Amino acid sequence: MRLYDDVKKDYDSLDKASFEPIEKDKKIYDKKFETKPIGYFKDAMIRFSRNRTNVVASVILIILILLAVFVPVLTTKNYTQQQTQLAHLPPRVPIISRLGFMDGTATVAAQTINPDNYNEEFDVFYPDNYFPEYILWETVENYYDSCSRISEICVGGEVVLRLQSRAATDMTITARNTFTVASTTGIAVNIDVVDVIGNANTELEVILETGGNEYVIGTITSSGTHSFNPFDNEDLPDSAFTSYRIKLRMFAENTDARFILSSVSVTDDALDDPIVEHSGFALANYQVSATGLINRQNAEIMRANFKYLAYESALREARATLSSTDYYDIMEEYPDECLWDPDEGVGGMPNPDATSVHARLFPEECPIIRTTGRSSLLPDPRNPGEFVYDYFVVIDYKRALGFDETPYFFFGTTNAGHDLFALTWVALRTSLLIGLVVAVINITVGIIYGSISGYYGGKIDLLMERFSEVISRIPWLVLLSIFYALIGPGALTLILILIVSGWIGVASVTRTQFYRYKGREYVLASRTLGAKDSRLIFRHILPNGIGTIITASVLMIPGVIFTEAALSYLGFGIGHGQSFKLFGLLELSGVSIGVLLADGRNEMIDKPYLTLFPAIIISILMITFNMFGNALRDAFNPSLRGSE
Amino acid sequence: MLRYTAVRTVWILVILVTILSMNFVILQSAPEYPPPTPDDRDMYYDRQVADGYFTVRVERDEEIVRAINESDDSVYVRSERNYYQRNPRTGPVEFYRIYEPVPIATQYVRWVGNIVTEWNWGYSTRVAPNVPVFEVLMSRIPITMQLNLLALFFYIPIGFALGIVAALRKDGVVDNLVTLFVMIFISIPSFVVMLFLVLIFGYQLEWLPTQFPTADAVGMVRFTGLILPVLGLAFQPIASLTRVTRAELTEVLTSEFLLLARTKGLTRPQSIVRHAMRNSMVPLVPGIIFSFVGLLSGSVIIETIYGIPGTGRVFIRAMALNNYDYNLILGTTAFYTIIGLFAVLLVDLSYGIVDPRIRMGAKK
Repeated sequence: MRLYDDVKKDYDSLDKASFEPIEKDKKIYDKKFETKPIGYFKDAMIRFSRNRTNVVASVILIILILLAVFVPVLTTKNYTQQQTQLAHLPPRVPIISRLGFMDGTATVAAQTINPDNYNEEFDVFYPDNYFPEYILWETVENYYDSCSRISEICVGGEVVLRLQSRAATDMTITARNTFTVASTTGIAVNIDVVDVIGNANTELEVILETGGNEYVIGTITSSGTHSFNPFDNEDLPDSAFTSYRIKLRMFAENTDARFILSSVSVTDDALDDPIVEHSGFALANYQVSATGLINRQNAEIMRANFKYLAYESALREARATLSSTDYYDIMEEYPDECLWDPDEGVGGMPNPDATSVHARLFPEECPIIRTTGRSSLLPDPRNPGEFVYDYFVVIDYKRALGFDETPYFFFGTTNAGHDLFALTWVALRTSLLIGLVVAVINITVGIIYGSISGYYGGKIDLLMERFSEVISRIPWLVLLSIFYALIGPGALTLILILIVSGWIGVASVTRTQFYRYKGREYVLASRTLGAKDSRLIFRHILPNGIGTIITASVLMIPGVIFTEAALSYLGFGIGHGQSFKLFGLLELSGVSIGVLLADGRNEMIDKPYLTLFPAIIISILMITFNMFGNALRDAFNPSLRGSE
Repeated sequence: MLRYTAVRTVWILVILVTILSMNFVILQSAPEYPPPTPDDRDMYYDRQVADGYFTVRVERDEEIVRAINESDDSVYVRSERNYYQRNPRTGPVEFYRIYEPVPIATQYVRWVGNIVTEWNWGYSTRVAPNVPVFEVLMSRIPITMQLNLLALFFYIPIGFALGIVAALRKDGVVDNLVTLFVMIFISIPSFVVMLFLVLIFGYQLEWLPTQFPTADAVGMVRFTGLILPVLGLAFQPIASLTRVTRAELTEVLTSEFLLLARTKGLTRPQSIVRHAMRNSMVPLVPGIIFSFVGLLSGSVIIETIYGIPGTGRVFIRAMALNNYDYNLILGTTAFYTIIGLFAVLLVDLSYGIVDPRIRMGAKK
């Protein structure tokens, strides 16, 4: 630390003449400020713009709002009409698609294959409903999954026999096919029993049926492989042309008893292959008597995962059957391209009835490439008594849907073929508007309520505080149940739930501000001059507390959006197909972010984008809105910085 | 203190009764949805009579019987809240038993009486026909409580730790990262976080189950099935606890008594643990109590997303459109209301315990 004695030397060494007393001959207290005065809002603005992060957040927020306003208006893509052809398309974004993701290939997961669909080159099976030419073969993976259906696509496994009801004592399963034997020597009927559950009286009779008669050839009571020579039973007819049918009859005392079989076969020592071999589906497919049940266990089913060129598949050239309405819709939409003359009608060019291939070709620009004929006259479903044709055509979906080249759906498309990108912004617009409307109502009510409560104080304040406390203590579940039961789902219920207790925050902030300012001298001065209560409230006190109130109000909007999203997600808010008007002015669609998230809920396995993009957008919105609100609060009331 | 406690307790009870009564009266005046099958319905109405909400009489007047026989909806007329039981159910008959509700005011008195004397909250109509509502709830409460308590014990230490670290390293890299984390997770709704978690860890990475395991699941699945819902519930509370802890601790760290503690010779860790932490706890305790209520109501939607058979899911099921189970709704909302108000009471009283300087309701 420098002591005065050390410094004194320096001061003493200074030239006294260079100092001049400044107040010697002028008065500085009357001097005008040279800087401009800074008002409350300007001051807040300066503080606001000083925090870079918050400015960035606010800019992002503004961009989101602008997108929500303009994208639904400017988009060329469809988000209102149902277009099944365009349903389930994955995201496709220019530039990024070259990096190998968001390139329009759909990830198809866990589809059950059809055993008839086999690709020899890659040795894989693939499911129905997918066109082989659009499957990316190197990505196809086949794997086995467990399966308990009695169906041909499930293979292997065992069958479980059990009684249907307590009243039953036995059950029979019968093979669907019969067999014949070439000789009576060396024949064996083999039954593979995996497990027997039951008591000593649980047994399985092996029976051969021929000519309507049953011949018991053996009885099984334990697990293991059992072989019986059918001709040990001397009653069994053995002529060369006798056909036999296998029957298995289980005897048991209760419904807990089980016989678990894995295979039934008939072998001939003279032959390499068994005469009969029933396992898996063939065994499960045995005919069951009404007294018993047959179940399958440990069977497997083959499924496939692969990537699929969804855009190419949706916009392919394909054979299709168009109803007359669809056919003429296309004709009327592209009259020039298709050379369609309405006056000439059905017989016009090109003519579906024409015999030469050439005459069936449409011009190149027409969505329909050629016709292959038309059906016989069918009754018109729309006009009873009228008859129409169905048209068989080869159609170019890309052109029919109005695309010159493969379109880019940035966020993919929904189940109804809507563009999710446009729809997300529509949803965001709805969410924001609901947030705004609810916030305006809440702020108005809150300010009025808080003003009265804070200005008058005393008994009125006490009563009003108690009332708002009761209201604020009602859980949202109670509010939800009340309005939902009384009104049903919809925008009105949603807005009411949000309004009932939403104003309390603003009211309490306003009340505090009133307590703070109502005792100030300037209010007293105004009152002594004869100002009315309303003037004091609205001209003197409220404007002073407005910064804090604005902040509380801005922070309310994300809260409202959050509740709206949650309720709509649960199905208690708005929903598809609704459109509603607010005060006869704003027309809102029934789609909000919560609705979109609810739509994607059941398809998270193979269409994660339906959930992902709306979730990301609402997350960004909430984060930036909160940052903006906090920045606003810091700017208006710097003493609160860093706290809640 | 005693007087304050008594006044607060009574006031909370008043609020509780007000909310439950309002809920009862409004729900009872909405159209009724009795059990769907005739057998269950008969049983339900007989119980309603036994509990005093309905009266029953036998209608033998020929004209009325004929009118009912000829009307389409003879079994049950919903709009008038009358219930005609056909005896027997097939073919025209000579008499009907007619169930009629007593006025709502009387119903209300009996309802309060039934709850107070017999703890009878009524019977479920649609979710589990004719099972007492209290039993339905009791079978669901353990799983919800387990989940929420796990989330509570998971989030408190993490929230504290993050907040303390951020406050001690204020304006450093760690603090900025924590602040960013707080800003993100305090903003994103918990159900969106849950969706992200399920999407990433359930479907993409396939590390954790995408649905809550069923009751008969064994081994690791029982444990792994709890991870995602606990995380989904905990992120937002962690963020808010971190924020409050950081703010409180920062304030205390710059206070004069802490400087005094340092000057009298305590080391920095000593002064922080003994003086700063203790004083910054005061405003946190009520926050934690309230956060439990927040967790509970947040878990309604998490339970729905993850298929957890808790009270929240049963509430959502009872609220299925045109399939309302009013008694169950009443029971569930009563459960949530009681817990919420109890938390309020606890918070009010805890101020005095945590910080003896605050004398609640004491005369100045």
